[in-house]
Amino acid sequence: MMLTTMEGAVLKVPPSFRTIKPNPNHTNRTFRTVPSATASAPAPLTTDTKLGPGSLGHLTRPDFPILHQELNGKRLVYLDNAATSQKPTAVLNALRNYYESYNSNVHRGIHYLSAKATDEYELARQKVANFINASDSREIVFTRNATEAINLVAYSWGLANLKEGDEVILTVAEHHSAIVPWQFVAQKTGAVLKFVSLTEEEVPDIEKLRETLSRQTKLIVVHHVSNVLASVLPIDQVVSWAHDVGAKVLVDACQSVPHMEVDVKSLGADFLVASSHKMCGPTGIGFLYGKSELLSAMPPFLGGGEMISDVYLDHSTYAEPPSRFEAGTPAIGEAIGLGAAIDYLSGIGMQKIHDYEVELANYLYENLRSIPNIRVYGPTPSKSINRAALCSFNVDDIHPTDIATFLDQQHSVAIRSGHHCAQPLHRYLGVNASARASLHFYNTKEDVDDFIRALSDTTNFFASFK
Amino acid sequence: MDSFILNSPLSPFPIFPKSLNPVKSCSPSNIKLNPTKLPIYSRIPSKKTEKCNSLFCLTPQGPPPSITQSLSVSEKVQSLDFEFKSLPQPIDRVKRLLHYATLLPPFDESSKIQENRVMGCTAQVWLNVKMDDNGVMRFRVDSDSEITKGFCSCLIWVLDGAEAEDVLMVKTEDLIEMNIGFQSRGNSRVNMWNNVLISMQKRTKILIGERGKKEEEHKTLEAFSSLFVVNGGCKETKSRINRFGKLLKDNSMNELDMLTKNIT
Ligand SMILES: Cc1ncc(COP(=O)(O)O)c(C=O)c1O
Repeated sequence: MMLTTMEGAVLKVPPSFRTIKPNPNHTNRTFRTVPSATASAPAPLTTDTKLGPGSLGHLTRPDFPILHQELNGKRLVYLDNAATSQKPTAVLNALRNYYESYNSNVHRGIHYLSAKATDEYELARQKVANFINASDSREIVFTRNATEAINLVAYSWGLANLKEGDEVILTVAEHHSAIVPWQFVAQKTGAVLKFVSLTEEEVPDIEKLRETLSRQTKLIVVHHVSNVLASVLPIDQVVSWAHDVGAKVLVDACQSVPHMEVDVKSLGADFLVASSHKMCGPTGIGFLYGKSELLSAMPPFLGGGEMISDVYLDHSTYAEPPSRFEAGTPAIGEAIGLGAAIDYLSGIGMQKIHDYEVELANYLYENLRSIPNIRVYGPTPSKSINRAALCSFNVDDIHPTDIATFLDQQHSVAIRSGHHCAQPLHRYLGVNASARASLHFYNTKEDVDDFIRALSDTTNFFASFK
Repeated sequence: MDSFILNSPLSPFPIFPKSLNPVKSCSPSNIKLNPTKLPIYSRIPSKKTEKCNSLFCLTPQGPPPSITQSLSVSEKVQSLDFEFKSLPQPIDRVKRLLHYATLLPPFDESSKIQENRVMGCTAQVWLNVKMDDNGVMRFRVDSDSEITKGFCSCLIWVLDGAEAEDVLMVKTEDLIEMNIGFQSRGNSRVNMWNNVLISMQKRTKILIGERGKKEEEHKTLEAFSSLFVVNGGCKETKSRINRFGKLLKDNSMNELDMLTKNIT
């Protein structure tokens, strides 16, 4: 099913692919290596061929109108993609088209517009299912965002299945949205939350996770890609260990689905969540993937229209999943926009996106390390360890918020500062906050170069005030 | 480049240097331009401050501190508004804030406790608030971010030493010019100085409430003591007065009623 859709989607190549051809005579030769303190410096991981003119970033940039603006007379460099991604014209058009030509409520009317809206809404569900290789679109529940999807699992599956003494294993690197709902559930049920720390390489320690597993373990809640460390966890392995003791696995795939092929079948995940806005789709929509047999056995999360079968005055019977979990009028236009985003991403190809981002991630990491007194968190990339295309860092004696403010004001470079909704992780790393530059496939080598130049200027500026 | 600088006091420092661009509409009439004299702030015996001289291209000379020191809260707010309006370039605002950060009065490290944290800031901020016996507010703030410190320094200059009632009068909108660049104009969880201002006002309100309660306690106690004096000779007097005090504090009005009934 995945294959057929992918083939179908290839026909809908984003316009930029048709108009801009890579220029093979014009490869970029100004590749910078990182000055390293040790004599045995590893060979640079970046090869400039993929990053020069005609790169995926250069080809896709034209599809993102928002990127072509100046702030304070400087070209906008948007490096806050882990917080939210930008939207291509195809998605904006899909939203516009929905509201201009067939806006209507879904599942509720027999008239043409409602039928069309319902079809498109359900088609979007099918697109999500294909995108992550779910067996059936009924395994996809639309939610407001990943946070709501996690809360859905916590309140529905968690409250029904966890009891005193049961254990939920998480890592210290989880996003708050994957921690707090389970704290609520733990307080209500008496289940225990166990947190796995990091290895010396600053990667969540999955060996420790394995040791923590026992017959008491009922659930593992883990991220696929860390939004701070840029590490990637071997989810398939974690799942097989979990299933050995009869535990379920909920994967927070917010930072992986937008950047790489994610296949729920090969991962074996029981639940998986992601947010549309991080994958070039609109805000206000996200999804939960859940295995059919799990969703079917789960009680509703919210009550209202859409989710019922029959309502009597004293009780109701509930619709089958996914409707059971979609109370009230859903975010119709947003779901359709997400469908358009998936078409756009599939048109490029997730593998292609991933390959390019690995290259750009290494380029970012290597250049960032050339800034004096910088500490970049997470694993060192190598031939065997790929980092996601983001770097969280601190520069000695300069608050990350001051860095982000200056980069924004003086250089029109947008990065994030703060704890990135991962306070326990920052506490573990011994800092209160960090700065984070995060890339997407529409970023270019020039974006990274501008950022590094700007950061260098920023650190010099603050040093002059000391 | 001609610009002139208005000096105003930043407590506890005697002088708070400010430079204003020659934006006609907002130039206070009492400012003198005197490019020949040494900067007043360079006389502040602080190493850090001296380094910041490069910020200001012309030497400042303003009204004597005695005059600026007596600026009211709203005048100070206005003067800050003028000052930041005259700096349209974000980098100049950042520089100005970093300079003011160096003037921030020291913060007692032992006050860096959870209760004193200002929440909702992307940087860490601590706020210590006290009220003098005569209702004058004392604020101390610290942050791990230099830019935030700069904002806090401005707030301290405006509000430290002000009457509690005046502290509550200041509105976020009045200080909106302090924002650097395109920062959102409204309330935002990253709008750092706004959170600090709101915390200052909240804590001031609490202290006003506590003072009101104390005053009432005091009055009632005085009334009762005179009652005891009249009834003098009663052995229990002292312990009763103490008990009154405690009951008043706890708001135990029923018991208090009983006790007063006993007396009369
Ligand atoms: C790893 C991770 N998990 C969960 C979330 C929460 O996503 P949302 O705020 O869209 O629900 C985010 C986004 O910040 C994230 O990066």
